[in-house]
Amino acid sequence: MSAVGKSTSGRAWKFSSDISSDQLISARHVFEFDPRMLRHHLLAEVRPEFAQQAQPGDVIVAGRNFAHGSNHSHPFLAMKALGVGLLVRSLSRGPFRLAIFMGVPVLMAGSDVLDAIDDGDQLEIDFSRGAIFNATSGKQMQVEPLAPFLQDIVNAGGGLEFVKSQLVS
Amino acid sequence: MGATMTQKILARTSGRESVQHGEIIWASPDLVTAPEVSFSAYIKRIREIGVTKLAHPERVAVIIDHEVPVHSVAGAERNKLTRQLAQEWSVGHFFDGVGITHPLMVEQGLVAPGMFAAGADSHAPGLGAVGALSVPFGFEVSMVLATGQIWMKVPETIRVRLHGACRPGVAARDIVLATMQQLDDEVTSYRVIEYQGEGLSTLSVPERMTICGLCVDAGAKSGIAAVDQRCIDYLSAHGVVDQQAPELINSDADAEYAMTIDIDLSTLTPRVSIPPSPNHVREAQAMSGIVIQHAYIGSCVSGSIEDIRSAAAILRGRKVHADVNLLVIPATQQVFQQALQEGLLTELTAAGATISPSTCGPCFGGIAQLTAGERRISTSTRNDPGRMGSNEAEIFLASAMTVAASAITGHITDPRAYAASAEGGAS
Repeated sequence: MSAVGKSTSGRAWKFSSDISSDQLISARHVFEFDPRMLRHHLLAEVRPEFAQQAQPGDVIVAGRNFAHGSNHSHPFLAMKALGVGLLVRSLSRGPFRLAIFMGVPVLMAGSDVLDAIDDGDQLEIDFSRGAIFNATSGKQMQVEPLAPFLQDIVNAGGGLEFVKSQLVS
Repeated sequence: MGATMTQKILARTSGRESVQHGEIIWASPDLVTAPEVSFSAYIKRIREIGVTKLAHPERVAVIIDHEVPVHSVAGAERNKLTRQLAQEWSVGHFFDGVGITHPLMVEQGLVAPGMFAAGADSHAPGLGAVGALSVPFGFEVSMVLATGQIWMKVPETIRVRLHGACRPGVAARDIVLATMQQLDDEVTSYRVIEYQGEGLSTLSVPERMTICGLCVDAGAKSGIAAVDQRCIDYLSAHGVVDQQAPELINSDADAEYAMTIDIDLSTLTPRVSIPPSPNHVREAQAMSGIVIQHAYIGSCVSGSIEDIRSAAAILRGRKVHADVNLLVIPATQQVFQQALQEGLLTELTAAGATISPSTCGPCFGGIAQLTAGERRISTSTRNDPGRMGSNEAEIFLASAMTVAASAITGHITDPRAYAASAEGGAS
């Protein structure tokens, strides 16, 4: 079963809608698969300070259609390496799967929630319950958490860790 | 209630009688495709969790296609490692610099109607041209390599019924751009786009690869075309035997669709995707003020013999504009040889085009990069800023005919006048 009551705490990094996969990490890094390298490229051309300053527990807060376009794994390898989570209005199917597969915690939220978060706000998020506390404004919010099956994959640390037990046994 | 093509395929590959929209299943892909970009990274990763062999090596195709010919020492090392791993892990199908994955799989007869394919590359849905469900999974392909399985949420289908036939100068690209104009990504997300209708029979299999492959850029999970006699004949000629009857593969008459749209091909006009996204679609005619310095015909969705024929017909006896570089890349070596035999590459080079060996190269900025302030009109898949080099370069996407006509004039050009005269010249 999913881990319950485990909150992460960190800074909100706020982005607009329609941030494409290529904007997250340029297609010129397509041959790079080392997360320790990729973490330096995440959002480098949109907001250079992000990769330098992001800390584990921080959250990328973005609008609709996040990571659309190329179905590249690279941004999610980088997010996993940085230890950041995702709170977005919508995420198209390919990137949604890759986030889960890499073990990146994800929540979808409506514009009411997203509008109540400013860049730089301090957030405490319980991804398993969908509970979001904006410590800067003092506002408590609630969204639908991921389905338990998907939470199990994220909590295992990603898809391969999730299937590891059945492979090795 | 009947089933869609997608439901039928996913039911079979998950060992079920039927599957319902929205349910999560574990399916076993019949084909797994991985280019050299990522194959060695996947093997490294599954080794880390203790995997020592592929679940179904005979179902796996590994393809060196992104950096051909290799032009970096890092690439040479990656290719050497890829060749070595393909052998050590008993990969069933290995292709080394002979074409771009998706058209190559169809051309090699590795895809049959009703198959489920898992692809590492974003444009895997091109295989939908022959009635297969081919879904891009990126790094998740590592899980398919290790376990032979992948989880799927059974997607709904959007039905696109095609009627009539395209007029001269209008191409398969314009059909998919017209589809994007009707279906935004909020509608297409998590869904499969299925093409059917009598208009589909006017399209060759490579043209169907264009409309299915670009479904991912319309925001869909995949694209698939109904199977008809033209598809069956094409596959038979490419060595695919034991094809199931189309009625077993195609959607049932009472299948449930998320929505249906109808497109009358005879009303379509040449279109262009403008930066920064493929689904920002405009009429080619309205874009004639846009001056270009580069033109490219190629990629997994538009490097077919038909694309090259249509470009050569427009460029025959004409010259590429002095301020324009036109690059033409046949998608596979077979297409390259066919174009040589038909004299098309002679005509294109006489017009001033540069021909390069089959590769994905320019599509992701691997070769023929652009610098700030430059513009390219291209038949490739995406036009995100920075995709072909500088973030300050602009990429416009269109059919091979529109690219050829624009290469002649030096600005974005509706190809219909050229296409009409090309037809007249041929008769």
